[in-house]
Amino acid sequence: MDGFQTELVALLPRLRRFARAICRSDADAQDLVQATVERALAKRSGYRSGTRLDSWAFTIMRRIHIDQGRSATRWGRVVTPEDAATPNVADAAQADEDLRADALAVRDAIGRLPEDQRLAVALVLVDGLSYAEAAEVLEVPAGTLTSRLVRGRQSLIQTLTEQGVSA
Amino acid sequence: MTDPFDDEILMRRVDGELSPEAGAAIDAAAAADPALARRLERLRGLRTLAREAFPAASDSRDADLARMIAAAPARREPWTARLSRTARAAFAPRHAPLWGAAAAASFVLGLSVGWLGQDRAPGGFVVAADGSLADAALVRVLDDGLAGDGLDAGGRAVGLTFRDADGRWCRTFRSGQAGVAGLACRNNGVWRLEALAPFQPSSSEVRTAGADTPAAVLAAVDALIADETLDAAAEAEARDAGWR
Repeated sequence: MDGFQTELVALLPRLRRFARAICRSDADAQDLVQATVERALAKRSGYRSGTRLDSWAFTIMRRIHIDQGRSATRWGRVVTPEDAATPNVADAAQADEDLRADALAVRDAIGRLPEDQRLAVALVLVDGLSYAEAAEVLEVPAGTLTSRLVRGRQSLIQTLTEQGVSA
Repeated sequence: MTDPFDDEILMRRVDGELSPEAGAAIDAAAAADPALARRLERLRGLRTLAREAFPAASDSRDADLARMIAAAPARREPWTARLSRTARAAFAPRHAPLWGAAAAASFVLGLSVGWLGQDRAPGGFVVAADGSLADAALVRVLDDGLAGDGLDAGGRAVGLTFRDADGRWCRTFRSGQAGVAGLACRNNGVWRLEALAPFQPSSSEVRTAGADTPAAVLAAVDALIADETLDAAAEAEARDAGWR
């Protein structure tokens, strides 16, 4: 493997985390990670070495996610019963059991945020990117990122307060 | 009394997006104001919970993805390695991609746009106003020719063939009688000019693909190429498939 491939492998846990934070289901997140890796490999010439691979890969993932969201809205989603029974989901289920109830409540609340706010929260709160990096991934001005982040957080705090979760 | 600290500035404090002085000012105010301290604490708690909610845990499916990544071709030799020694020497040290793009752009602007006004470049090289090639003989060479064919009767030949990042087929060419060499990419069945430069044939009788190609055209190739140039078999296959 060359440096690009090594870095991409090292990035997988963060890519999966971002995917899980923005997708409705674990199966969708897995599809999104796989599609992102495939496109990153196909488009690797578009990556300039010396720049941040994480921002570049997150941007690819965000674009695929938005495109898939559009087509899912258009065509509706076909969910097969096998989805729930896939053995691969065991990891995710086990991870869920280990989570505190408060963290689970936050996860559900993030999942109910409007898409724009959910992406901003996933990049800054979950992944820990700076505002400038997150704005770059979302391809929006810094002010737009900040206002999505403020509104997303206000809404999360309100939801959690209503549920009696002490954040 | 109005609160000087709105949600945004507290959020910036928690996310580490304030200067140390501004952060210290908020911390000092919070030390004297329990309500403010409570708001900060909630924001911090939310950040912690959000990270906990989505742990960056290892996942067995990552191993499959890692295998897929490892199976992808590693960075192969740069496409310039296929050029003749002379052409490589002219092209070394390898230009920075940004420089290449700028050089290519300035050549298109400086040369072809200058010629567009009169529709015909010096020596009969024809470019339509939208940048598509209108020289029927050259279009035929781009459509049907292979690098191995060498020069046609009018001194036209194709050189390197590759795909750009958008999946378009691109080919370098020379048009000896017109005294130009260039790069054209195919879009919706039309070859559009991407770069053009004056061309002087070398005295050498031996011609290999890419030899004699002006540096500006090579820089344009470098700026556009997605993977690497095609070898003779792949080139023939792409042509036979009608550049799809």
